[in-house]
Amino acid sequence: MGIDTDSDTDVEGGRDGGGDGDGNRNTDDAGTDRSNGRTIGQHDVPITGDELLETFPRVRSRESDDVSVLELPGRDASTVPNAEVLRPELAGPLDDDLYAHQAAALSALSRDENVCVATSTASGKTRIYALQIARHYLNARARSGDADATAYVCYPTKALSRDQERELNDFYDTLGLDISVRVYDGDTERGDTRRQIRETADVIITNFAGVNAYLHDHDRWARFLSACELVVIDESHTYTGVHGMHVAWIVRRLKRVLEYYDADPQFVLTSATIGNPGAHSSSLVGEPVTVIDEDGSPTGPRELVLWNPPPQAREESADERASGSSGDETPDDGGEDAITDRVPATVEAPKLLSHLTYHDAQTLLFTPSRKLAELSVKRASKHRRDRSRYYTNPDRGSAIEPYHAGHSRRNRHGTEHRLKTGLLDGVASTNALELGINVGEMDATVQLGYPGQRQSFWQQLGRAGRGTKRALSVLVAGHRTLDQYVVSNPDYLLETDVEDAVVDTRNDAVFARHLLCAADELALDESDGGAAGFADRDRLERAVEMWRRAGRLAGHLETGVSYTGPPRPQGSVSLYATTGEEYAVELAEDADERHDPEMEPLAEERVLRDFHEGAVRLHEGRQYEVCAVDHTTPRPSVTLRPTDVNYYTRTRTDVTVLDAVSEESREIGPFTLHFGRGRVLVYHGTYDKVAIHGGQKTEQMLPTENPPLSMETQLCWLEVPERVETALVEKYRDVSIPELDGDLAETAHLGYAGGLHAAEHATIGVAPLELMVDKRDLGGLATLSIDSHLATATEDGDTDARENANATPQNIAAAEATVREIASELEHEPASGWFIYDGIDGGLGFSRAIYDDFEAVAARARDLIADCDCGRIDGCPACVMDDQCGNNNRPLHRDAAVDVLDQLLGNAGEEALEAHLPDEEYGGDRRPPLFYA
Amino acid sequence: MSGRAGTRVLALPPKTVLERPVSTLRDIDATLAPAAVWVLGRSREPTAAARIRHAIDAPVIHPPLETGGDALSRRPIGDDGLAFAVARRASALRAGDGIYSASDRNEDESEVDALICDDIATTTRPTALETSLDHAAELAAALPTGRTTTVLTGGLPAGYDERWHVAAETGTVRTVEHDPPRSPDSVAGDCVAVRVRGAGPVDGYGGPNAVVELEFAADGLVSSTAHAANDFGVEAISGIGPKTADRLAEVGVTTQSELLETPVAALADVEGIGPKSARRMHRHATVLETGEPRRVGDASLPGEHWSTPPLCIDIETDGLSPTIIWQIGVYDPSTDTHRAFVERDDPADRASVLQAFCDWLLGVHPNRALLTWNGWRFDYRHLGAFVARHCPAYAAEWESIPKFDLYLWADGDDNALLPGRTNELDVVAAELGYDGAATGLDGARTAAAYQRFMRTGDGSELEWDRHEAYCEDDCRALWHVYERLRDAPQVSAGSSASGAASSSPTAEQASGEQTGLGDF
Repeated sequence: MGIDTDSDTDVEGGRDGGGDGDGNRNTDDAGTDRSNGRTIGQHDVPITGDELLETFPRVRSRESDDVSVLELPGRDASTVPNAEVLRPELAGPLDDDLYAHQAAALSALSRDENVCVATSTASGKTRIYALQIARHYLNARARSGDADATAYVCYPTKALSRDQERELNDFYDTLGLDISVRVYDGDTERGDTRRQIRETADVIITNFAGVNAYLHDHDRWARFLSACELVVIDESHTYTGVHGMHVAWIVRRLKRVLEYYDADPQFVLTSATIGNPGAHSSSLVGEPVTVIDEDGSPTGPRELVLWNPPPQAREESADERASGSSGDETPDDGGEDAITDRVPATVEAPKLLSHLTYHDAQTLLFTPSRKLAELSVKRASKHRRDRSRYYTNPDRGSAIEPYHAGHSRRNRHGTEHRLKTGLLDGVASTNALELGINVGEMDATVQLGYPGQRQSFWQQLGRAGRGTKRALSVLVAGHRTLDQYVVSNPDYLLETDVEDAVVDTRNDAVFARHLLCAADELALDESDGGAAGFADRDRLERAVEMWRRAGRLAGHLETGVSYTGPPRPQGSVSLYATTGEEYAVELAEDADERHDPEMEPLAEERVLRDFHEGAVRLHEGRQYEVCAVDHTTPRPSVTLRPTDVNYYTRTRTDVTVLDAVSEESREIGPFTLHFGRGRVLVYHGTYDKVAIHGGQKTEQMLPTENPPLSMETQLCWLEVPERVETALVEKYRDVSIPELDGDLAETAHLGYAGGLHAAEHATIGVAPLELMVDKRDLGGLATLSIDSHLATATEDGDTDARENANATPQNIAAAEATVREIASELEHEPASGWFIYDGIDGGLGFSRAIYDDFEAVAARARDLIADCDCGRIDGCPACVMDDQCGNNNRPLHRDAAVDVLDQLLGNAGEEALEAHLPDEEYGGDRRPPLFYA
Repeated sequence: MSGRAGTRVLALPPKTVLERPVSTLRDIDATLAPAAVWVLGRSREPTAAARIRHAIDAPVIHPPLETGGDALSRRPIGDDGLAFAVARRASALRAGDGIYSASDRNEDESEVDALICDDIATTTRPTALETSLDHAAELAAALPTGRTTTVLTGGLPAGYDERWHVAAETGTVRTVEHDPPRSPDSVAGDCVAVRVRGAGPVDGYGGPNAVVELEFAADGLVSSTAHAANDFGVEAISGIGPKTADRLAEVGVTTQSELLETPVAALADVEGIGPKSARRMHRHATVLETGEPRRVGDASLPGEHWSTPPLCIDIETDGLSPTIIWQIGVYDPSTDTHRAFVERDDPADRASVLQAFCDWLLGVHPNRALLTWNGWRFDYRHLGAFVARHCPAYAAEWESIPKFDLYLWADGDDNALLPGRTNELDVVAAELGYDGAATGLDGARTAAAYQRFMRTGDGSELEWDRHEAYCEDDCRALWHVYERLRDAPQVSAGSSASGAASSSPTAEQASGEQTGLGDF
């Protein structure tokens, strides 16, 4: 029957199963839930939010405010008859009418407009471009018998590409059209297979890493590119920040080559609901885009359960707390709330998964890590056994599997298929299942912790809901402040706009890199400069001159500028800005081959964090110990051996800045702002062994022996003048944070340091409001001794980095020692302040842009902090807390931050300081050279 | 490349010196016969300097270890009066008394042809769209004003050639000339002009080409060529990489002749080699030693049994990302005549040359095949694209013309073993006794010349005959190689050891045309 069997017709998001519902687990048939004797209505999920509350077994009666159930209304379908929009050949074979947004998009496309469709998950977005491809195909066939009309379709992941290849081919079978859809990516066999796809396919599915590479050989693609009438960018909201910039430039390079072949295709973008679909889309493709966001697809009503786990029994408390590995424990005001005494989400969420599947609700649990996906499956099963008096039939609904990108493609496909066909009752997955892989639609979702972004939150929720039936979604709050903030402020989820996706084509570093590729693909000439060109003339000339001076380009724009550097500049474009090679995963030689984990290669960042020697990883329910890590190129590898121990391992993370060199500086009142370069070091230097049962740390601070992740990047930093610092240290000298240990706990500088730390978080947090940057690509470091992080001058006055600093400190202790040593050698009192750096090797110009616009950013940050009504001294996730903080959001002090920023911006004058300045020259408390990410 | 006239200096990175066997270094020495060896020195590498002194009988320059009272030492090279000033590091420039370039007409004894300073490099700041010259201030302080001084540096890749004009007072860059050989050598009186030339490794498809040969003529530096280190010694033999070379050294085989003296059976016993590889190594070593090509297996040469031989063609473009094919040369072996299709008048006209070529080819020689050297990577590839675009009427016919690629047949398909350290046509042809026309041109120079014509529109500057002679020379060289391969002895196909790509394009031809264009 093909693609459109029920009212929900989304190719991408999930029809039920193979098309006709057979093999689907279908609770409607049962009519009655035998275990509870409940009657299930036609439009109900097997279990409601209230029923969940009633039936879930618990230790003791819970506080009423621990759980809130919100009712989200459904929406009726709004449709348009097919024949109004589509020609008879296409309208005829389709059983169902088009949703209003599908019709609107197809009408815009027939007016030659570019379109961005930003509607909910499973609203039939794929159908739109699938039909537009069919239209182009029929038009070409009508023009001449053998004319081509091709389409280039880009998905963010290879897994999604394979999934959609099947869906699209099936759809064209339904329509009776001979349109061949082929995937062409890194997994496609080289040689004849590739040539045949290039020479014959009507639709080629790939990803942007592929487009980037294939443009080098565009002449081999001449047939396909000459006939290209549509370019599709699916899940376009995923192209944000650094990745988004690269994609925007790859699209521009593609357009340049297409123009060379006289092709001028339309663009279709599909996006999850984001704040700025129009601006984002036109930034990506460099052309006006019509936004279609009036969703005409029906959804059932949804119950959203915000589930704060109950307090745990005292004797359990110490054990369970430590296993809250989804995040950091929360600092709280005076310990009254004692939220850290709650059962961790990592323990509670698997229980809910287990409970829901027991009650016949097919459930998808989203976890923040691969490790937790694996652990959750074990814990779900353990929950049944622990509560065997309640779960009298322990095997009921117990087919639960983990899913994440660490599994091989074959394994993932199997899981997807079993989920789709109802053989599985539940899956614990990372965000790998957040994007549109077709696994059918669930009855319920559970989120282990808040995913950090509203956009992501809604996307995951959208996985539950079969057509217009009721759906159930449970958010299990973790200990993190962000989670606690969300469950106590549901309005934050319901009322505020989702995030903007950010793409910045003004970034010269990324532009310049892609310019080299463009010159390699087709010589640059004057047509590349100007309004319709690759860049404006002045920028183009400056970049060409820069590369000519560097010996990478040759020639003149009048006659053509060619690339002359090392072969294939495309290969040096790192789309995710990760620079390292991938590590192969190998089984130890003496281990049984049957236990080969068959894991896909790992990115360097992941190896440094999670695959140090001695790490215990859980993979497909089996424990593996990392017995060797080989970092040597060109074939780095990780060797695993199966093991059976009662703990897992968790890595600790620290960050510091070294050898910063100021290249420019300017005064803002008495403050000094610098821009320059330096090294940012990320350490995953130690790890803890954590007991699987109980979560107790059995051993702590074991060395990982992994090298630090070192980035040469761009930074800007603000130096606070001594007078401001002295006054504010005095003003906040009584601040204390009971839970904080270490050097800082005792110091008089704590309150002031909290102010710097809070101001650092806030300036990074608001940067996207002022500049087109994504805050996830920025990092920061607040410090009481800026000077300790700077390169020191050598004896002969060279500004080179110190000789011994050229050796990277191999662990955070060495880095701290280096910082302390430099501090002790300083001949003057160091300045305090904070760094903001590009979290990307080589830098990407973000901190430069912030340097240029610092006052505007600081003003935003100041208002954000001052206007926040959280009422907490240490702020909330909406103002100064950051879920990526490496120091557990401690110390933070809002008032001190506002004072610093007011001084910077001239909002407050000298008189604000006078009151606090000591009367006499102040001997001062010894300043600890401490820093906080 | 035969008949080198000038003085040669070899630039080697310390890493190459330390990693390669002494026998390979000796082979480099024997092949290139340098008057001096410069071990690039941004840091002190005494072991590398010692090793090269041990291996090569020529003066060694390693800037960090230069001695002498002055910060700048003067080093005469060879017997032709060539001399360099060597700066230990950039800071030494300030300490010295300044240097004088050869163009300085006084007979001062500190007159030198070039300054060697490995600290000179460029720094690119993409966020500012700026490239700066490191130590420009030191250069401005040390070099004579109003004229050009050549600075050689291992801090930039071979082939780098830009003239920087720096204000003598401030060290700020005024302007940069991108085509020094063609720019009038006029320098403002308050400026220092620095012609910066790279001598560092060049990245290629097969890894870095780190052996850089600098050839000086009486009129100054004329050329730099980058070779791959594995084009020398036993590694030049197909199938021998660093690991195998180490294992061979353990059994006493460190040179090509030693390998030939070792019986195949003994080679086959070496770990990781085996009988098939051993036979092939032996054969290739024989080819390299004798300069006689061998055919492997029974595959016939492309077009060997046709009644008329293929037409040998070669194209000239304006660069590696061509915007025009401005010359198509065709040599017809059956009549021993050459024909050139050249766009001399309107460089904006992409179609005429193609049109004339296709008219002639399809009209006069409808049944002939074409022959190129590496054409599937360059000539056929671009001709196909340009015909489809600018002469669409001929697109289908063009597709149907039989096209042979002698390089692909010989190397890619493992049908022959070629002499010569690299597989570039001129190297192979010279090795096979082809006496070239010595036009002094290469693909990059002829492309650059045409680019100037495109920019100025003044065709009178261009030495058309010379450029046509260059193209014709390549076509004839191709036929020479074809004939030699046709007559080459055949050995039975015993192996098909992976033909280790041993091509090393010169600095100017480093990308695009040669090896490694794998299908992505």
